[in-house]
Amino acid sequence: MDAWHITWFTIVSATAATALMLPPGVAIAWILARYRFPGRSIVETIVSLPLVLPPVATGLILLLLLSRRGIIGRFLESLGIDVVFTWKAVVIAMATMGMPLLVRTARAGFEQVDQRYEHVAATLGARPARIFFTISLPLAAPSVIAGAVLAFARALGEFGATIMIAGSIPGVTRTLAVAIYSYTETGRDSSAFVLLGISAAIAFGALWIANKLSERRPA
Amino acid sequence: MIALDFELIQGSFTLDIHVRLEGRAAAIFGPSGAGKTTILDAIAGLRTPRCGSIQTHDHVLYSSSDGINLPPRDRHVGYVPQDVALFPHMNVQRNLLYGRHPGTSPEPSRVTAMLEIDALLTRRVSQLSGGERQRVALGRALMSGPSLLLLDEPLAAVDVPLRRRILPYLERVRDELGVPIVYVSHDREEVQQLADEVILIDNGRVMASGEPAVVLG
Amino acid sequence: MARVLTLLVVIGLWPVPQPASPITVAAAVSLTDALNAAGEEYGQNGARKVYFNFAASNVLARQIVNGAPVDLFISADEEQMRVVEKAGLVAEGTRVDLLSNQLVVIVPDDRPRTFTSIRELLDPAFKRIALGDPAAVPAGVYAKRLLEKEGMWTAIEPRVVPAVSVRAALSAVESGAADAGIVYQSDALTARRAKVAWVVPVDRGPRIIYPAAVIRRSAVTADAKAFLAFLQSDAATRIFTRFGFAPAR
Repeated sequence: MDAWHITWFTIVSATAATALMLPPGVAIAWILARYRFPGRSIVETIVSLPLVLPPVATGLILLLLLSRRGIIGRFLESLGIDVVFTWKAVVIAMATMGMPLLVRTARAGFEQVDQRYEHVAATLGARPARIFFTISLPLAAPSVIAGAVLAFARALGEFGATIMIAGSIPGVTRTLAVAIYSYTETGRDSSAFVLLGISAAIAFGALWIANKLSERRPA
Repeated sequence: MIALDFELIQGSFTLDIHVRLEGRAAAIFGPSGAGKTTILDAIAGLRTPRCGSIQTHDHVLYSSSDGINLPPRDRHVGYVPQDVALFPHMNVQRNLLYGRHPGTSPEPSRVTAMLEIDALLTRRVSQLSGGERQRVALGRALMSGPSLLLLDEPLAAVDVPLRRRILPYLERVRDELGVPIVYVSHDREEVQQLADEVILIDNGRVMASGEPAVVLG
Repeated sequence: MARVLTLLVVIGLWPVPQPASPITVAAAVSLTDALNAAGEEYGQNGARKVYFNFAASNVLARQIVNGAPVDLFISADEEQMRVVEKAGLVAEGTRVDLLSNQLVVIVPDDRPRTFTSIRELLDPAFKRIALGDPAAVPAGVYAKRLLEKEGMWTAIEPRVVPAVSVRAALSAVESGAADAGIVYQSDALTARRAKVAWVVPVDRGPRIIYPAAVIRRSAVTADAKAFLAFLQSDAATRIFTRFGFAPAR
């Protein structure tokens, strides 16, 4: 077992998943915060689903969609793209599970931005895109960042959906969580404990950084 | 300078405004809750009336019969809200320059000199006093080169001695820059000093309009 | 209010005649359908109810060793039974070899193939091959043994998708996520979206044995033994054969 490869793979995948989630997540959070439209509650519900469903259930839904015989999988296969049981599935599972956390936190951030600022910016001649990037997003930035950090942390520990669509293929899709599971299931306890130690170290490190960041911000 | 002929529904409250303002500075006077801020919002395009029209002498800003409803950014209206709303994450200079259009905006130095805010340019918004914020907000609105200036209770949040110091700036804007002003107030003295005409609003309707001395008695 | 509470407590604690406690059977997941049918038949004669816990045998062995309250254990290979024996948890003299099975190669039913030999599995078209985790799941251990014997393991290993159980491997093939898989013949019979491409001849494949044993800690050893005896009866054998198992040789 290559503990460092597994660790590196997990962190890189979680980072990629967070980056993947940011544009659509922030956009959805913005739209939900500012606009009323028919079907709004449906969008809210779908976005929140991975938060409420058991992760393996979400994983099963992803599998049905993305496997070779699934609706999306079929289309991807015609393009020569393989998703299930590859590293792409790991990133997708992480992004899916982290998305609701990002959207909810970012949305709360946008809702707290006083619309007066946006209105004044409009009277000063700014188009909606400029208002978003120069006013709304910077003012909501702390929440957006907090949401991204939450989503990243969730991605690091993601297991249920990952094991469903990515499996536990050594060297290919084994994240820390998945590897710990596989090793304990097959009696390789000592290997599992090594990974447990690494996971705990990462968790401590992340919490320490998060605490330091919130201390630095003026009250 | 502006003709208002519209009806606007806000919750359980209906605004029914029909008046023509011609002077350099017009005041909207009335008790709180009468709909004064809503009138400014309608002129700025932040609220849409149910029907009617809003026109300046060279532009139609809103006309329900012609299907015109210019978005705020196209109305060339400068707005200073009651809570000033300076962008908290930008310093004074960036606030001032936010709406600047190189072609149509006045020279920054002229505006900052007139409002005496040159020394404040690098300050953060949180470091400004109440009076300084008012002047910066005024400067920001002016820097966008508006054809009309809307001020919501520009002196309300400011204590009396400070009011006397800010009023001259407003007079300068009225006199030196030639930008017509429509502003909301519930201070008689201020209205009498600054405005050429007053409209009295109560319960969403224009009760009286004319010269300050006449309307306010 | 206090009177109502007292009444509720009395009712709640009133001794109620309990039904006879059931037998808990931990069994390899490949036995799911067959044992459910056998358990139903057994229950029809008014005997004790049987509860089944199906999972990969390595998972069950760990649970038993860690104290899970199991009365009877049926493993898909001898190795996992040995784990339980080493922990001193097998009741004296109760271990029997119950069943046997065969390995088959399956493919998704929208890409059916029929092999003329197992070596066709080397075809690069099979990018991902689902097996029970060859590190410990019996079906995977058997499959690895088979492939090693055929000299194919080194070539196949990089393409292996280790599944948490043999039924998970089956499911991976059925969904099309894996292009082929190796499972038990009994599993292939229950498959709805996968087809058998190759049946491993009995003499070419590893010897598959399902040992069964009563667990020493059990509170109902007599009943567990009775159920185990039933599983070796003609009636039970008929059920097992119907589901694709063979009696242990």
